[in-house]
Amino acid sequence: MSTHTKLPDPATDVPPDEEPIATCPHCERPFRSVHARDLHVGELHEDAATDTERERHERAIETERDDLWLFHAKAVVALGITYSSTVILYMVVLGTF
Amino acid sequence: MTDRPGFGRFGAGGRRVTRAVGRAGLRLGPWPLLVALVGTASAHSGSLAGATASATVPTWLTVLTGGIVVGATFLFTTLLTDHDAMRDVNWWRLTVPVPAKPRRALVWVGRLVSVGILVLVLVTGLTGTTTPTQNFALLAIWAGWWAGYTMTTYLAGNTWPALNPFRAVATLLERAIAAVSDPSTGAADADGTRGGTDPNAGGSDRRTDGGMATVSGRALTTRTIPERWGVWPAVVGLVAMVYVEVVSPIGSDPRALGLTVAVYGVVTVAGALVYGESWFARVDPVSRVFATYGRVAPVQRDADGFSVRLPGTAATESVLPDRPGETEFVVALLWVTTYDGLVSTPLWARLLTPIAEAGVPAHLVYVSVLLAGFGVFLGVYRLASRKIRERADTYVAVDEIERWFAPALVPIAAGYHVAHFLGYFLTLAPALAAVAAAPFAPPNTVVLVLPDWFGSVKLACVLLGHVLAVWVAHSLAFELLPGVLAPIRSQVPSVVVMVFYTMVSLWVITQPYVAPPFV
Repeated sequence: MSTHTKLPDPATDVPPDEEPIATCPHCERPFRSVHARDLHVGELHEDAATDTERERHERAIETERDDLWLFHAKAVVALGITYSSTVILYMVVLGTF
Repeated sequence: MTDRPGFGRFGAGGRRVTRAVGRAGLRLGPWPLLVALVGTASAHSGSLAGATASATVPTWLTVLTGGIVVGATFLFTTLLTDHDAMRDVNWWRLTVPVPAKPRRALVWVGRLVSVGILVLVLVTGLTGTTTPTQNFALLAIWAGWWAGYTMTTYLAGNTWPALNPFRAVATLLERAIAAVSDPSTGAADADGTRGGTDPNAGGSDRRTDGGMATVSGRALTTRTIPERWGVWPAVVGLVAMVYVEVVSPIGSDPRALGLTVAVYGVVTVAGALVYGESWFARVDPVSRVFATYGRVAPVQRDADGFSVRLPGTAATESVLPDRPGETEFVVALLWVTTYDGLVSTPLWARLLTPIAEAGVPAHLVYVSVLLAGFGVFLGVYRLASRKIRERADTYVAVDEIERWFAPALVPIAAGYHVAHFLGYFLTLAPALAAVAAAPFAPPNTVVLVLPDWFGSVKLACVLLGHVLAVWVAHSLAFELLPGVLAPIRSQVPSVVVMVFYTMVSLWVITQPYVAPPFV
């Protein structure tokens, strides 16, 4: 169950009037934020990463976790609203409300 | 010529043959039972309106519910953020090694059978009975092949590279030419290289270089299709094919169908001889359609055999190759499937009538809408890709994003296809079996009557395709972008597009069938 096709590295396109905010020191891929670069280094170059890079990756994950919690809270509320309004809509349309 | 069995795979073809059956029954007279059966069958397979009305859920609510389900699926998927767990699901596979020798033997048995069927189709198409439900060519091509076989390419695996009778004929011809022009090397080389074109090879273009190209390099002048054309020839071919299907009588006239198959066959064999393997990979729309559907199939071709995957997960491991027309082909497949349904809705007939009566040639309207719709679909997909780039705050190139997420469109097309054709296939399967047993003296056939609840099955298929598409896009986003939030946020534009597309396609399949008018 181990063999899988590795997806190719995606081609990037930096606008000519823009200087990338961060670049991966391992594969030269440009990023629009240091946060994204730190995550990338930890995910794709885990073995080659230096201690500082690992630490930065840890911190980036922490930030993600906090933001993700808020995002998920919103998603769950949205699901609840969607669900209940669908039920009410069906009750109205089918005439049992 | 209003009653056409239809170009099985792309459209509301089911209704067309059923209607043709009805007509045949009336004309033949002594089969009132058949007519009665058929009347019920077309009411059921032809329209979901009956099924939805009996549950007293109006069409608009059915359509809206579809949109809600897709949107809610996205919200649920955002809760799944463990990349490693996702990979465990997507990368799970059961490898079934099959040695080259038995595989090659199996391929040649398959090819022998498929060439035999092709000959039968040509003979019965050009000389057989013209009663649609008794003609082997019509039933085999539309019900058996375009509906039934196409379903196997995404529900099981793409076997077309192995079974393609035209490929088999081209291979044999090539060997013959190679043997004549250079008797010492031709045959031996052919044997040594042939294994590479086995099952599913066409499912991935990276693997399709085996076999034929090598031999044609020796035997014939291998011309090459300009690289900058990419797979655009196949895109043009697909759109042209659907146009022919909608406006020509090949759906109900066995002679026209036989002739079309013959012309297609000559062109395909000639193309394969001149251009080698790249003909099937870049020009032949039929091979491309099956290869595209094969991307989501559970059985995939591996280096030394086959592997069994969870449905759809193979698409999370392959982005489209970097060449012109790849994205466009997938979008075109989705559009032509929709178009074929669209031109057989009552709304289309209502809109077209005043235009045609004002003197505008109907064919022009059909072509314009076909091309304009393709442009709109492509435009919306490109716009969504640009939005994905903005929302993900990434430097990944826009055309890379387009190619990256295009495989997620395939389950949608497959779900739509199965919604259209499962009923059609089941309805005509008894007729196909009876006629296949005696193609030259076809017995009188009956059709299967599908139960009322089958309408809900069709709705479920469309929804299932979309739900799978949300998962595939979600997985691909995690492979493309770092972290968790960027991949999730990037999916919002495509989900918005998917919600609208679900609603449009559900609306189309809930519409009663009206044969495309004025053609």
